[in-house]
Amino acid sequence: MGKGGRHTYAAISVLAAGALALTGCSSGGSKDGASNQKDTENAKRQQSSIEFGKAQDSVGPAPEVPGAKAGGTVTVLQRDTYAHLDPAQIYVSDEGSLSSIIHRGLTGYKATSEDGSKHEVVGDLATDSGTTSDGGKTWTYKLKDGIKWADGTPITSADVRHTFERLFAPFISNGPTYIQQWMANTPGTEYRGLLKGGPYGGKHLPDTVLATPDDKTIVFKFKEPKPDLPYALAMAGYSVVSQKKDTKEKYDKAPMTAGPYKVADFKSGKSMTLVKNTNWDPKTDPIRHQYVDQFNILFNKQYEDSTKTLLDDTGVNATSISFNNQVDAGNLSKVLADPKLKSRVVSGYQPYVGQMDINMSQPEMQDKKVREAIAYALPITPFVRAYGGAQAMEVAGGLISPTVSGYNPSFDPFGKKKKPAGDPVKAKALLKEAGKVGMKLTFGYINTPEGQQYSTAMAAGLQKAGFNVQRQEIPAETYYDQIGKVKNNFDIYHTAWGADWPSASTVVPPLYDGRVIQDGAANYAHVNDKKVNADIDRVSKISDPVKAAEEWNKISEYVVKDVVSNIPTGYYKQTQIAGSKVGGLVYDDVLGGVDPRRLFVK
Amino acid sequence: MLRFIFRRTLGAVVILVLLTVVAFLLFFGMPRDPALLMCGKTCTPDALANIHKTLGIDKSIPEQFWIFLQGLFVGRDDFAQGPCPAPCFGYSYHTNENVWSTLIDRLPTTVSLAVGAAFLFLFVGLGSGLLAAWKRGTLIDKTFTGGAMVLSSMQIYFLGPLAMAFLVYQTHLFDQVEYTNFTKNPASWFTGLVIPWAVLSTIFAAQYTRMARSSMIEQLQEEHVRTARAKGMSRSYVFFRYAWRGSLIPIVTIFGIDIGSLLGGAIITEYTFGLPGLGQLAVEAVKFSDLPLLLGVMLFSAAMILLFNIIVDACYAFIDPRVRLS
Repeated sequence: MGKGGRHTYAAISVLAAGALALTGCSSGGSKDGASNQKDTENAKRQQSSIEFGKAQDSVGPAPEVPGAKAGGTVTVLQRDTYAHLDPAQIYVSDEGSLSSIIHRGLTGYKATSEDGSKHEVVGDLATDSGTTSDGGKTWTYKLKDGIKWADGTPITSADVRHTFERLFAPFISNGPTYIQQWMANTPGTEYRGLLKGGPYGGKHLPDTVLATPDDKTIVFKFKEPKPDLPYALAMAGYSVVSQKKDTKEKYDKAPMTAGPYKVADFKSGKSMTLVKNTNWDPKTDPIRHQYVDQFNILFNKQYEDSTKTLLDDTGVNATSISFNNQVDAGNLSKVLADPKLKSRVVSGYQPYVGQMDINMSQPEMQDKKVREAIAYALPITPFVRAYGGAQAMEVAGGLISPTVSGYNPSFDPFGKKKKPAGDPVKAKALLKEAGKVGMKLTFGYINTPEGQQYSTAMAAGLQKAGFNVQRQEIPAETYYDQIGKVKNNFDIYHTAWGADWPSASTVVPPLYDGRVIQDGAANYAHVNDKKVNADIDRVSKISDPVKAAEEWNKISEYVVKDVVSNIPTGYYKQTQIAGSKVGGLVYDDVLGGVDPRRLFVK
Repeated sequence: MLRFIFRRTLGAVVILVLLTVVAFLLFFGMPRDPALLMCGKTCTPDALANIHKTLGIDKSIPEQFWIFLQGLFVGRDDFAQGPCPAPCFGYSYHTNENVWSTLIDRLPTTVSLAVGAAFLFLFVGLGSGLLAAWKRGTLIDKTFTGGAMVLSSMQIYFLGPLAMAFLVYQTHLFDQVEYTNFTKNPASWFTGLVIPWAVLSTIFAAQYTRMARSSMIEQLQEEHVRTARAKGMSRSYVFFRYAWRGSLIPIVTIFGIDIGSLLGGAIITEYTFGLPGLGQLAVEAVKFSDLPLLLGVMLFSAAMILLFNIIVDACYAFIDPRVRLS
């Protein structure tokens, strides 16, 4: 997924303006030993591959959270309102967190350690994470007994069929498209042709694609092996939708839910109240709890506000939390340094990796030496500083995040970890060899406080190496639209991307497959390398996730080192804080934030 | 008087219609494609065309404007999200909420903020300004004018967090800033808004102090006031009977404009304190390039300013009969 989704990006930009104005520039840069060790631990735990659990692991109830008790109300302070409640329209992380307690899917991620740091994919509504007999082409799921919608009606295979068939309807445009593309065996949006208009005209997907032989059984049939299906099904975007209660576009405002909580009241941009769903049976759910009576969610709480409120820790603030708001840059060092706050602060990596895209469509960028010069000259320190220092951003060596299987911590071909300020001398030598000293380099940067800050310093670094850098400001709300155009006339621009599940199969193909280059596609650098394209086809067919992870990583390393089209900048990190009376606080690596499913009031 | 108000209202309606045309053309006619923001990760020309159709922006601009105008007066039922009764501003691109319902939902917060703050800044500003004029040249005058100078140079985004840090988080003298519906809990409504009122009125009151002082001093030098004093009337009688009324005219003008603007949304205050009013809605609309919402907020704010201009004009006529005659 793109960083925060297209919508959230604009939000980040505007809101961060306030952050900077109020807090001043953060220190950044330094990193103590303890912090280093914790990062290594975090990375270690996050890169470990998530395995598919066995059938017995899919049986509810979820293991008790130590010390948990039922009752109480938790106030949740969120920056952005939820634009979508229809599972099929959910892609951004804050809606994903909400989805984790109101919606359910065929599979889900179950925490396998008490601190919630390890996971496995298990059956959520299904009895297991899926069985395949032909290496991933055919997957069979059986629904559990006793699973119900919030209105008490049973969830059947007809609902699951409907869930997938409506993904082809034209009004579904925001959610993930992996499974639709796999079903239609085609990239891009051509998949919609498989069931034009969705199931509303009485048409259905053929049994050769999706079969539901009885009320409990669902069979997915793909033309190519899709070993990642259990991961994909665990995405919030593939949570089930009630066939009987489907109101098409209106479902986005009032969906039927199946999770432990249901929406009692929602005022967009103001508040949302979640209450217990009495038709949710914990015996059917190995992932979620229902300790808290009610969640009162308040929107438009900026990071500074939520941090101050949670630090205050008096009255209702002690039972407050934010599912997604981070500790603001101004308070971050203080929060991490205070031992008294340790028990109510959690940290982890976000799935996003920042990268400087070199526009391979530009004639001047065809010269590999020029690209290498950019790669060596580009200073990363300003980028880290702009986001609040080492606690909020880590210098990246490669394009695969520490949260993704196959991450290689030692990969750093341009020595960015050792020389985060860049190597202008080496860069200048390369530029001289290419005979391009003084060449014009157009740097399109996002007009956010961070963008303004890092782009100025990055431009200065490139200038030192002999480039004549022209910075061009791009409004935040149209940034991805503008750089997403194939003919965009910028030479370099920065983007961020996060894996949709802990496998680089959701990173490498969308970002580096030359055959998907078109306006709006995520191959922002326009990488079109024969070897990369062929390798993507080859690795997509590997059914062993561990081997596949290794191979995906090799492709990404080839892109950085040999194609030199995408220069890794940083791994995004996040620190969150909760009130002292909120129990069960854990940073969930998969959600990329606090895990709302296990919270309780102390 | 009625004819006077009718004339002014007619003028305001013409301005509003012109504003609607200009705003619509500016928003919907510019070379930007809101569909791109909703197109997701795998955006293709097909998918874009689909969204254009869903949003109704596949039609020509004049056609879109005509449909929009019709919607304002008779409502529309061509939205997938449901019927849109008049006045129909359409549905938000970002949240799919009915724009008019959203405006109405956010209005009480903005009205509460505006009315409370206006009450404070009018009385504090006017009171201190008049007192400074009364005590012209004394320490009181210097204190008030000096204080007003300092406060008017302050910014809400500076004073707001400062007030929160000190009054809420450190000393716990005040409740957390939060909007509660007045009808639901008047006490919470009051305690939750005290700080935003105080901060907003601090900035405004300083201007009123300065304006009231200079206006009153000017009035005190008018011939009719000096004549009254020469006739032996007491200073306080002349001050309140003759000078006060004349000094109000510029105050009423600025107050009308200020309250009209505030009712259209106190953007910085609402944003600083996280109050879900029209100002915050405007920020959200800009953030998400949500054109229907942006247009709705803008026209609503413009209508408020025009409405209060008419009220100001009527007040002029009430205060000064010469205006009525002209």
